[in-house]
Amino acid sequence: MVSVRRSASAFVAVAIGVALVAAATLLLASGRPQVPDRLARAAVVVQSPEAGASADAFVPTRPWSATATAGLVGRLAALPGVAAVVPDRTFYAQPLVDGRPVAADTRREDAHQGHGWSSAQLGGLRRTAGEPPLRPGEVVVDRALGLRTGAPVTLLTAAGPEAYTVTGLVDGPGVLVADEVAAALAPGVRTIGLVLAPGADPERVATAARGVVGGDGQVLTGAARGALEPRGDARTRWIGMQVLTATAALAGFVTVFVVASTFAFTIAQRRRELGLLRAVGATGRQVRRMVYAEALAVGAAAGLVGLLVGAALAPLLGRLLVDVGYEPSTFRVRYELWPVAVSFAAGPVIALLAVWSASRRAARVRPLEALREAAVEQRPIGRVRVAVGALLVAAGLALSVGTATADEARIAAQYALYAVMALVAGATVLAPAVVGPVVRLLRSPLRRPGGAIGMLVRGGALTATRRTAAIAAPVLLTVAFAVLVSGMVRTTTAAYAAGRADNVNAGWILVPDRAPGLSDRAVAATGGTALLPTTVYRTDPGELPADRPLTALGVEPAGFAAANRALTVVAGSLDDLRGDDTVVVTEAANLRPSEAYAVVFADGTSVSLRVVAVVSDTSIPGDLLVPRAVVRTHDPSALTSTVYVRDRIDPPAGARVVDVATWAAEADAAEDRLVWLFTLLLIGVSAGYGAIAVANTLLLAAAGRAADLRLIRLAGATRRQVLWLVTAESAVVVLIGALLGGAVAFVGLLSIRAGLAEQVGAPVDLVVPWSVVAGVVGLCLLLAALASALPTWRSLRRRPARSSVGVVG
Amino acid sequence: MPAPARRAAPPVFGTVTVMTTDTVTLTGLRTVYGTGDRRVTALDGVTTSFAGGTFTAVMGPSGSGKSTLLHCAAGLDRATEGVVTIDGVRLDDLGEDELTRLRRDRIGFVFQAFNLVSTLTAAQNVELPSRLARRRPPAADVAAALDAVGLADRAGHRPSELSGGEQQRVAVARALITRPAVVFADEPTGALDSSASRQVLRLLRALVDDHGQTVVMVTHDPAAAAYADRVLLLADGRVVDELTGPITAAAVAARIAERETVPAESSW
Repeated sequence: MVSVRRSASAFVAVAIGVALVAAATLLLASGRPQVPDRLARAAVVVQSPEAGASADAFVPTRPWSATATAGLVGRLAALPGVAAVVPDRTFYAQPLVDGRPVAADTRREDAHQGHGWSSAQLGGLRRTAGEPPLRPGEVVVDRALGLRTGAPVTLLTAAGPEAYTVTGLVDGPGVLVADEVAAALAPGVRTIGLVLAPGADPERVATAARGVVGGDGQVLTGAARGALEPRGDARTRWIGMQVLTATAALAGFVTVFVVASTFAFTIAQRRRELGLLRAVGATGRQVRRMVYAEALAVGAAAGLVGLLVGAALAPLLGRLLVDVGYEPSTFRVRYELWPVAVSFAAGPVIALLAVWSASRRAARVRPLEALREAAVEQRPIGRVRVAVGALLVAAGLALSVGTATADEARIAAQYALYAVMALVAGATVLAPAVVGPVVRLLRSPLRRPGGAIGMLVRGGALTATRRTAAIAAPVLLTVAFAVLVSGMVRTTTAAYAAGRADNVNAGWILVPDRAPGLSDRAVAATGGTALLPTTVYRTDPGELPADRPLTALGVEPAGFAAANRALTVVAGSLDDLRGDDTVVVTEAANLRPSEAYAVVFADGTSVSLRVVAVVSDTSIPGDLLVPRAVVRTHDPSALTSTVYVRDRIDPPAGARVVDVATWAAEADAAEDRLVWLFTLLLIGVSAGYGAIAVANTLLLAAAGRAADLRLIRLAGATRRQVLWLVTAESAVVVLIGALLGGAVAFVGLLSIRAGLAEQVGAPVDLVVPWSVVAGVVGLCLLLAALASALPTWRSLRRRPARSSVGVVG
Repeated sequence: MPAPARRAAPPVFGTVTVMTTDTVTLTGLRTVYGTGDRRVTALDGVTTSFAGGTFTAVMGPSGSGKSTLLHCAAGLDRATEGVVTIDGVRLDDLGEDELTRLRRDRIGFVFQAFNLVSTLTAAQNVELPSRLARRRPPAADVAAALDAVGLADRAGHRPSELSGGEQQRVAVARALITRPAVVFADEPTGALDSSASRQVLRLLRALVDDHGQTVVMVTHDPAAAAYADRVLLLADGRVVDELTGPITAAAVAARIAERETVPAESSW
């Protein structure tokens, strides 16, 4: 009973959906942490204790102090089967070529990392020329830089540019210096690599090592060493995972919708046939089962095709994700079983979910319908449907309120997405009830073009509300999604940038250029107010993990207070922030001045600080303020993120000067770019689907309308008039969908704006990227016009009198 | 072709069985649609019966209620008042699924148009009611039924490849193979030319004569009615006249003309 022609549109929609799901899940499964090449030869690695519970913070682990490291190295070296124990030190060091940082591959974290020479034996690094660095001032660099042994090279470190001599070349990124230099630049150690004696069993060594380390770190072997990948890679991969998960979820959700409307439409077209089946003895359940079976067949076949297409596309998409920055450069596509199984199951599952409501309607077709001629739909909308629609809209509105009142941006964004999903579903369900009034509203503009056409368009849209709704639904979905998501992203970005700019009292701002941060010498040259962030750890044995990472900002209190308009001191005085044991905390810490506050710094030492002031939570772009000198003492490789200056100055190496507005807009530019690309990707997926669905439904409707149009031709309409009629009909329906979708999205945007205004503490302008909206509506209009005009034009090539008007009794 | 004797009704339905030789009985049938000003009484107290092995034509002008009568008698529609029995089973006692099973097992349909599922071949359409009942009729039976309506060579054709008359004959074959208690035909020749009409009517007649089946046919064509054993004339939802005995088209037409001259009666 599966008709190819009838199922084609559902097939295409399911296949595309499964292809997207397959590609996304395959990429998801491939995105596993990679063991860094640098540590590939260390069969067993000990990592310092993990810090922080939040998965997306990507903070480094809590380092061991120099003493703790020495103790661990000594005890680990005594284990049987261990040939060498190497504390792996990582610090900031970037070679300057022609006085500037190398432009190539700034995204790769390891390109501007330095290590001690002994770390080389942990990985596959091969020395291609020269000698190892043994004394201060000697360095081994990546041969890709094009330097020769014996040549001088300037190394930019946290202190500033330093003169080094190239003693050797290796075939990997980063620089290697003498171990004593590395120990000075990175006193805290996070990784100790174990090189095993030939024939030693890594698992046995690991077990022994666990006995030595105890609770003071984790012992990793095999693939688990992927946990040691650069934090930046982990973060990039996490972003990529979010993108892929959202794409797969959206593709699934939208597919169900599109396919559901296609199925609903075919069921409406088959009413007579279903009535006949009922008349000759099919029970409602049999009809329902038949509809399910058809959907299952279509879903399984389309799922298979989609799976193959998705699997073929995955490597291409993977490369694209790496290029765009959603996956680290180490990303490779791997074909795993579970994504294949999931995608293969997705086709039938999507089809069955989609056909659920259509099957209910099919089972309700009464046998008498076989005898009905007219295609006039009786009741535009059922009571259950109204109830479901009302519930969905209510849920959507509740979620919108949640968006408006959420404290955290990420939670608000999640609420917003669910809210729009619920509102879109609700609006789609209720569309038949709304179509009538909207068409009547459009009465006046429709009356003008020739009278008769307006009358026919209006009549058609009003009587066939389900058809109209079926075509309008995907447009609604697409437009609502596009307007809401793009509007949300742009409004949020603009609001945050405005908030940042408002809080800064400075003329110009010095920011790093092709470097992760600014060196001390660069800061000193400006005379401005600098922020020197570092990660510190606060240990609370009552929690798991016990160490919580905090961002401490090293500042000069007077300059910081002058440059930061948002600063609100609740207790104590910022002026007391001096000496080597003072700290300013936020209200969240729940402490009063003069109380003690112990933290572990980047060098692994634990210091008991004294609270001198408490500021409000939103006052500072971090968790703590400490004197700048304290940060420098404990973290020799900390880099300055920002310097506020009064006048425009000539930027030093690895820096540039921007005005406050540019800085505010750029501060999250990399992130904003990823978010915007992500947004466009999602909008693209849903718009593509919307357009497909509109075209699908119109093509299906064209077959059913042939007889109607022939009658209109016989009644004296010219071919051009008929073409006008069908095009105008489609345009009206698309516009109805766009209006409804826009209205839904507007509700969502208003609630988001309210939430943002509360967060930022200032009125927020609504930003709607009209070009995106116009593009989406235009795409739907174009495809709708084509899908209705083309089949009509083809059927009109025959002369009206020769074609039969159908069997009329 | 197996013996024409109708198989005994299996005691599937736990309902009151009325002892009668009539296959279909209608008692005090009233059907009212709509409410208030838009209230329409389609049937206004019809009591009649259709005996086994007979061919009855139901005639009447548009709006006389003849289609409603057929729909109610066949269980496609429910009457507001009154009782319909088929093979002694009261339809008003049956739930939707029981009614469906009754239709499948004991009622055959030939509609004016749209008799066949477009995606199935002629043979598959013939098998359809049995397959819905999870029985698969022997291929030989299907072939024989199609042969009986002169379509042995069209078994594999889809409805779009068949003429209107051929489609009606497939519907007759479908009614033949399930050997239902009664075949309801709703204007079966309405969309056919005269020779195709004659073929279909002769086949319906053969259902009665050769297979002992019961046929109830709604028609507006006196020539079609002439194939019946009995003609019921309906007007305004009531049985107003009845012809029995040898029926000719001329006699039917005369009787209709006669009624037209009666004052205060609706026109045809």
